[in-house]
Amino acid sequence: MKKLLLRTLTCGLFLSVLIALTSCGQGPATSSGSGNSGGGSKTFVVGYSQSNNAEPYRAQLNLQLQHYIQQYPDLKLLPITDAHQDSTTQVSQVQNFISQHVDVLIVSPNEPDPLTAPVQQACAQHIPVIILDRTVNTDCYTAFIGGDNVLIGEKAGEAAAKLLPNGGNVVELRGILSDQPQIDRDKGFRQGIASNPNIKIIADREAKWLKPNATTVMQQWLSQYPKIDLVYAENDPMALGAYLAATAAGRANQMKFIGTDGLAIPDGGIRAVQQGQLAATFVYPTGAKEAADYAEKIVHQQHVEHKLVLGTVAVTPDNAADLYNQYHLGG
Amino acid sequence: MSVDVGDPSVKRENIVPSPRERFTRVLSVLGSLQGYIGLILIVGFGILSKGDIFWNGINLTNAIGAFSSRGILAVGETLVILIAGIDLSVGSILGFCSMTAALLLTTRDMNPALIVLISMLVGAFFGFCNGAATSWLRIQSFVVTLAMLSIARGLDRELSNNVSVGTQVVLANGHLAPNSESFQLLGTPGHNLFNLQIPFIGQVGIYYPVLAFLIVCIIFQFILSRTRFGRHIYAIGGNETAARLSGVNVMLIKIAVFMLAGMLAGFAGPIDAAYSASADPLAGQSFELDAIAAAVIGGASLSGGKGTIIGTLVGALILTLLDNVLGLNAVSDNWQLVIKGLIVVVAVVLQRPGILTTTFAYVRSIIAKIRPERGGDKEV
Repeated sequence: MKKLLLRTLTCGLFLSVLIALTSCGQGPATSSGSGNSGGGSKTFVVGYSQSNNAEPYRAQLNLQLQHYIQQYPDLKLLPITDAHQDSTTQVSQVQNFISQHVDVLIVSPNEPDPLTAPVQQACAQHIPVIILDRTVNTDCYTAFIGGDNVLIGEKAGEAAAKLLPNGGNVVELRGILSDQPQIDRDKGFRQGIASNPNIKIIADREAKWLKPNATTVMQQWLSQYPKIDLVYAENDPMALGAYLAATAAGRANQMKFIGTDGLAIPDGGIRAVQQGQLAATFVYPTGAKEAADYAEKIVHQQHVEHKLVLGTVAVTPDNAADLYNQYHLGG
Repeated sequence: MSVDVGDPSVKRENIVPSPRERFTRVLSVLGSLQGYIGLILIVGFGILSKGDIFWNGINLTNAIGAFSSRGILAVGETLVILIAGIDLSVGSILGFCSMTAALLLTTRDMNPALIVLISMLVGAFFGFCNGAATSWLRIQSFVVTLAMLSIARGLDRELSNNVSVGTQVVLANGHLAPNSESFQLLGTPGHNLFNLQIPFIGQVGIYYPVLAFLIVCIIFQFILSRTRFGRHIYAIGGNETAARLSGVNVMLIKIAVFMLAGMLAGFAGPIDAAYSASADPLAGQSFELDAIAAAVIGGASLSGGKGTIIGTLVGALILTLLDNVLGLNAVSDNWQLVIKGLIVVVAVVLQRPGILTTTFAYVRSIIAKIRPERGGDKEV
């Protein structure tokens, strides 16, 4: 009898705590969501869901976004969430932002399909959404800001054609084959070199965007192909890994290296072009500045482009030093 | 000659091991025969398919050098597997130590030898945490090292601020800083310690990662087979309770083993940084899987007590030469993954004691069944 009473009381207590928590959970969220920093002007809350903080490109994007949003005193950026390249995690993180009723939601989707539904949920809740860098399969967002990887690949191909006017052998180092940027850059590159039929891609391998993998692959290619004229890598770390291998074999001066990304960090592509390791690289724009500008415009009900495709900047030995100073954060 | 074991007057030291016994002892150190057969098959396939593109000093050095940091991890992993544990964090610890090495070089301009030492200490500290949690807190090593995998990776990314750190510090005059210059000797491709002429292979540059890997294997095989510490490791792996009851300090040895695994991960860290001339916050991811695969192919049993370092060396060579041969033959990465997995399974099945005799017996019985029929036909 006593046991039963005790159990009923515990259950009742548990249920009432549960009910209290769930009803309370809605309250504070709505009030913080509408923005209320003490004092006069209203601050707007911006939430950013990043797909993978670990990639250097995305780490730069985060830094840049924080920097540019700080320049707008009425915007407040919540801690950037990191989905560790896992779409399921990102879905729940986006849904978290939705339930917090952020004023602007920025998403860099890990993959288009899994993230389509939560973006649509955000649209249904009338939260303006900015899609940054990778796409989703819905059109309900307010703005898409991203680079054009096919264009970047094409420009790289055209640069290769210029470096090899009489044709030559090209080897291609590819990123993870299933990544959309890889598919686009490869497609663009092949279109870019099509103008000169004497330029042949004699080998291409997947180096998974990683520098040591590129070194190993390049070492194997060097032992098999006596004539390699150009190395095209879909990102800078792979290009630099190939450069290391070629230097080790004493053949680095017999070939040219083209990378992609152009990050303004000491270990990045712009520095490498400056130091003569890469012949060229192409800046893959982060879009952070544009995202911050758009967030400000959206909260002030101003018009923004539905789709903003960012171009690229070719980094050559002539402009490398200037570009580094321009893009390097700290200023 | 009969020996009365209970008689104290009989001195055991007078009995000299026969040549056969000596031979068996050495053979047991070398690990399983099947590993060597596998290695010969792969080397044979390489020579047949690519000739002297495969079988030359530079290619072999490149192939073994690229795997060296994972090979060193495999040595530490073997020790942990021998005590019936598993260490999933060695890859993350290697990544952390690789980043530490790069940062020490670029921010403090430290001497590479000192960097390697500090790296080993840092790795040993992580190993100590693993060992203490497994041994004192009595948490299973799988769980502890799984947690440490995550912790070390998070710390690594925080330390580096998610940006890779280059190790080639260029001075104002365009030359490399002296410590950066000597850091390259730790494994940047093309920077050999010195050159040697080896018969049948040709000119070979002695590449530090390969040398370090081989020396680590020799030292740890010596520790395992010739020291009391090594004997105790096998004892714990064979039967932990019996070892404890026999007076072996199980707790201390477990901690020591995890510390050694961490220390080896720290030793391999600068090698990894030098190979890429930079430290990546993602360095070392899934290296622990390669380390475990090398140990298992080399004959180590996950239930503990069985395995040798030389066996692990053979396992490591099999994995890296297989990668090399498949790469030279332009086999796609997808199939390389499939083949790697199959090799591990086949290797483990072939390690079963008596597998060869059982197979022969089975084959013989089939032949015996066929033969009498043939004989019968001929009679008619």
